[in-house]
Amino acid sequence: MIRSRAGLSAGALLLAASLALAACGGSGDSSSEEGADAKTLTLWHYEGPTSAMGIAWNKAIEEFKSSHPGVEVKFEEKGFEQIQQNAQMILNSDSAPDIMEYNKGNATAGLLSKQGLLTDLTEESSKRGWDKALNSSLQTTTKYDDDGIMGSGKTFGVPNYAEYVEVYYNKDLFKKYNLQVPTTLDEFTKVMDTFVQNKVTPLAVGGAEYPAQQILYTLALSKADRAWVDDYQLYKNKVDFKGPQLTYGAQTFKEWVDKGYIAKNSAGIKAEDMGVSFSQGKFPIMISGSWWYGRFVNEIKNFEWGTFLFPGNKLHPGSSGNLWVVPEKSKAKALAYDFIDITMKPEIQALLGNNGGVPVAADVASITDPKNKELIENFNKVSGEDGLAFYPDWPAPGYYDVLVAGVQGLINGSKTPDAVLSEIQKPYDENLADLGK
Amino acid sequence: MTLTANRAPAEPAAEVRAAKRSNPLRFVILAALLALLLIVIAPLLIIAINAVKSPADYAGGGPLSLPTHLYWDGIVDFWNRVSFGQKLWNSFVTSFVVAVLGVVLSVLNAYALGIGKVKGRLWFLVFFLVANLLPQEVLVYPLYFLSKEVHLYDSLISIVIIFTVIQAAFGTYLLTSVYQEFPTELLDAADVDGAGKVRTLWSVVVPVSRPTLGVLFTFFFIWTWNEFFLPLVFLVSNDNQTVPVALGVLQGDRLMDATMTSASGLIGILPALIFFLVFQRTLTRGITAGAIK
Repeated sequence: MIRSRAGLSAGALLLAASLALAACGGSGDSSSEEGADAKTLTLWHYEGPTSAMGIAWNKAIEEFKSSHPGVEVKFEEKGFEQIQQNAQMILNSDSAPDIMEYNKGNATAGLLSKQGLLTDLTEESSKRGWDKALNSSLQTTTKYDDDGIMGSGKTFGVPNYAEYVEVYYNKDLFKKYNLQVPTTLDEFTKVMDTFVQNKVTPLAVGGAEYPAQQILYTLALSKADRAWVDDYQLYKNKVDFKGPQLTYGAQTFKEWVDKGYIAKNSAGIKAEDMGVSFSQGKFPIMISGSWWYGRFVNEIKNFEWGTFLFPGNKLHPGSSGNLWVVPEKSKAKALAYDFIDITMKPEIQALLGNNGGVPVAADVASITDPKNKELIENFNKVSGEDGLAFYPDWPAPGYYDVLVAGVQGLINGSKTPDAVLSEIQKPYDENLADLGK
Repeated sequence: MTLTANRAPAEPAAEVRAAKRSNPLRFVILAALLALLLIVIAPLLIIAINAVKSPADYAGGGPLSLPTHLYWDGIVDFWNRVSFGQKLWNSFVTSFVVAVLGVVLSVLNAYALGIGKVKGRLWFLVFFLVANLLPQEVLVYPLYFLSKEVHLYDSLISIVIIFTVIQAAFGTYLLTSVYQEFPTELLDAADVDGAGKVRTLWSVVVPVSRPTLGVLFTFFFIWTWNEFFLPLVFLVSNDNQTVPVALGVLQGDRLMDATMTSASGLIGILPALIFFLVFQRTLTRGITAGAIK
């Protein structure tokens, strides 16, 4: 290619900034009658047709059609990238859909809500009981204040599913070395020691992308409580990066590398390759999100596998899934609310659960597949303890890359835990200063 | 006759000597070329292997293993999922129209600048060069607003207009330097024969520079075909999307479907590859061809 595409993200940033100026003025008020007589409902999402969400939402579309005869549903499957890059521009034009899936978080749904591009769903959500179906840590990502920061303010989205980080393990390899599922961190360490003694690297880790930082964060969470998570994620109080939580996380992570639990070469491994190496049976353990679950159910044929929650932790990385949002320019708002209502129905939620997704409001009894039951029971345990601690890269824009670089330094031994913590504290504090906190 | 008779016996000997001298070197070059070739086609091969592999096979054997059986569902599913036929048509129409319009616009511009010697043509050229260096990301926002104003947002026409201008900027720059070297004898002859400016352009300049125009056409077509960023921004509806944008559908938030992505990659590059093979003779004729015959 002769033309370079470098600077693509810079361009997107520029766009975001200029659109923020242009998009003011959308009023947030909504009435549930608005657009009730519309004849079409344009609906976008970006989940594959065979994924749990894709299957459940297809069913929801069918139900919507039968309960709304005469309304045409125009469904378009979008690319994640396209929505991510262009949401502001699209929602500001006449091509905006009536309802769409969108990423949760300050930089995405938060930003759009601040620009007045999303409809305030607070009233609808209490009227139709969506808020009661979601516990408080799930609701965190649906509410955004006037600055577009999550956790409080008006409700702008409704999630159908959740996700959380857990431990995947290869049952065959556990059996081979006579190992039990660990229930404490000590036992977990012993399990990994056994593997190392037998010259097997225990953990599949993708150091070039999100998995490694989630392990470090999980370790930090083992020493943390909800107040600390609120401080770190919602800026309630200043976070001490040299405090016991993150220090423990970084040091233990380093220890795990030194002891050989994590291979030195995993600094360059991508998440996809990590997942494939686990599904090939090359590693006995993988610590990652529930988004792998459905895929592993379908694709791992060569060995038995299972999952357990990270031993000893009350808090786990995780959050609600992506949100249904109703653009301010939607011409069929009432129909959009009806559709969201259908997706929250027990049968759609059960369908989601039976296909490897984690429904937010499902009855475990209605989940028939034993494998998926395990996933949902674990989630209900986390959710019951209000244990979703979000993801480490959420607090600041561009923080993902900072964390990847920091953890890579720990894996290849080029930086000490202390140096890494100082390195990741700087952008965090800068962001706080930008927000005026 | 005697000359050839004398030379004949000497020739094979010389050849053998030359071959002997160059043999090891030839071998090394051949090996190096083969290695390079392998490096170049390795990604294509891996895509082809994974395109016909079932997801379970991929999960069990990884990306480098050979498929246990041929699995065409990935390609078929992808084709149906994005209605690929329509995307092909969209891509073909936009690329073709852009290539034709871009060449016409370039010729007209370059005729004025290179042969017509318009005043301040150097500044025109500098302007076109700078316009050509601008990253598309800078253009996006103004273009978005303009297209919204004239109701061309989410329309193939906007893409055609934008890329015709972008490609013609490059084409003008290149063709102008070609036309500056255009043999004045031909122009003078046309003038003597009484041809006007338009006649000279269509009957003298264009036919002589046809190989160069062919190359430009091919490049414009392939460049436009491969464009991703602006079509991604401007073609919102699925019905309007082009091939590269459709390939983006498979990119998920956290997961990728490696086998289907390979399948889509394979059918995504095939048209451009075929086009290239068809027109490669035009390309090899060289970009500055065209002189007095």
